[in-house]
Amino acid sequence: MIFMRKIMIVEDEPTISRELQHLLVNAGYETQILEDFANSKQEIIDSKSDLILLDINIPELNGELLLKEIRKESNIPVIMVTSRVNEIDEVLSISYGADDYITKPYNPTILLLRIQNIFKRMEHKIDNLRYRDLEVFPGRGILKNNSEELQLTKNEMIIFQNLLNNIGSIVTRDDLMTDLWNNKEYINDNALTVNISRLRSKLSDFGYEDAIETRKGQGYILL
Amino acid sequence: MKLSKYIIDKSLSIILIGISYFIILMLLNSFKIHKSLTVAITIVFVLMLLLLFIINFVRKNKFYNELITNVNLLDKKYLVLETITNPSFYEGELLYQALYDINKSMAECVRERESSIEDFKEYVEMWIHEVKIPISSLTLLCHNHKEILDKSYLEQVRKLDNYIDQILYYVRSNYAEEDFIIKETLLEKVVSNVALKNKDDLLESKIDFIVDLKDLSVYTDSKWLEFILNQIINNSIKYRRKTDDSFIKIYALDYSDKTVLYICDNGIGIPQKDLSQVFKKSFTGENGRTNTKSTGMGLYIADKLCKKLGHNIEIESEEEIGTEVKIIFGKNNFYRMNV
Repeated sequence: MIFMRKIMIVEDEPTISRELQHLLVNAGYETQILEDFANSKQEIIDSKSDLILLDINIPELNGELLLKEIRKESNIPVIMVTSRVNEIDEVLSISYGADDYITKPYNPTILLLRIQNIFKRMEHKIDNLRYRDLEVFPGRGILKNNSEELQLTKNEMIIFQNLLNNIGSIVTRDDLMTDLWNNKEYINDNALTVNISRLRSKLSDFGYEDAIETRKGQGYILL
Repeated sequence: MKLSKYIIDKSLSIILIGISYFIILMLLNSFKIHKSLTVAITIVFVLMLLLLFIINFVRKNKFYNELITNVNLLDKKYLVLETITNPSFYEGELLYQALYDINKSMAECVRERESSIEDFKEYVEMWIHEVKIPISSLTLLCHNHKEILDKSYLEQVRKLDNYIDQILYYVRSNYAEEDFIIKETLLEKVVSNVALKNKDDLLESKIDFIVDLKDLSVYTDSKWLEFILNQIINNSIKYRRKTDDSFIKIYALDYSDKTVLYICDNGIGIPQKDLSQVFKKSFTGENGRTNTKSTGMGLYIADKLCKKLGHNIEIESEEEIGTEVKIIFGKNNFYRMNV
């Protein structure tokens, strides 16, 4: 990734904002934590962030009203975060223009996937991912070089895309599992192992040997 | 009001009037009054008495009949005063006033209770909201420091969260009137959220999670349904048979008048004698006592929530074979108005 996406964290609980920052930085994002709640709207607009994680329950203006204010000036993607488990808040947030809504306590991996999804949607062209000289078409499950096509199953494509998004860094089995389950593929540990080894052999048959490396006890890495 | 009973009730007056008439008759006789005058007096006397009797009966009958019929017809009997007209006789007015005062004081009593329950409910909701923040921090901390904190920490945090949800929905199911929003909800989305919540438990227990929902959607509150499903799936995980082929299968079938969501497992099942009681409050049954500790609240709350949402929940089970829970969503056009 050449440029880093910037995410604004609007959250009044210091432990959470600190840990969120840690999580997001590890995932390769630039972050900024909102400091001045009295002037939140201006600080958010000025920060030129690419996405806002907005807690509903914050001092001064509450999250929903703040979102309404932001929407008057900017179309920046917003994920609402709340500890209130309640459909009304969700409906309200979405109607005020939130792009997504997640309740605390959330699974951090899923939060990252949701953020990724929003960025993917923003890029419009979903089908312009590349791996080395391969073009990746996630929707059709195809990897393509100049002359040939490699067909992947849905699960293999989810795994490959996840590794590709984190190219060069280790992806844990748990992360892959969460991604698969998040895509409604409720596979078990054995099936994951089978899927990865099948993906690996498909890639190596296609001329990309050792594309996926196993890091013992840690996970996998796409090189 | 029955005429015969009314007459019996008035028998004392009738007897007294009879006696006084008899005395008058004697007096008239002793003064040697002309026969035709006696007859005239008798006619006037009897006519007047009859008229008085009838007028009284009609007035009272009108009021009491209305009161009694309305009380019988009404579902909420305390509202009867709103449905009857003010009586036109003194005793009736007294009764009406007394009933009115009684009602008012009862209403105040009820309102006081209601507001104290409302306060309690609000406090619990707020407390839950507060306690979710440290739980959220813990989840993030566990995730960010995997090297030092292994999965068992996260598992405990998840358990905490589940118990807290139980209290939240217990309060909602008991005290909240209209705390939900019914809208069209994809079953797949709800199941997916529950699956993700229980992913680690399911994988660790080596339970295959099989889902086939065919894009079916139902009218429900997705958060509530999520909680209900979570309770059922938690039970399936808790009461699994520790074999290699454990599974939980979730599928839905669409009928003309309803959609049914099935949650089946091949766990240890529920003894027949316990089956009819699993939705009762604090019922733990044999499984809850012998295998793992159980609070007996999960299914009770799930059942209550289902009833509020207008769904039906049914359970079938055979020991050592498995359990099947059905959630039945009626296809009622009533909810479609806001689409």
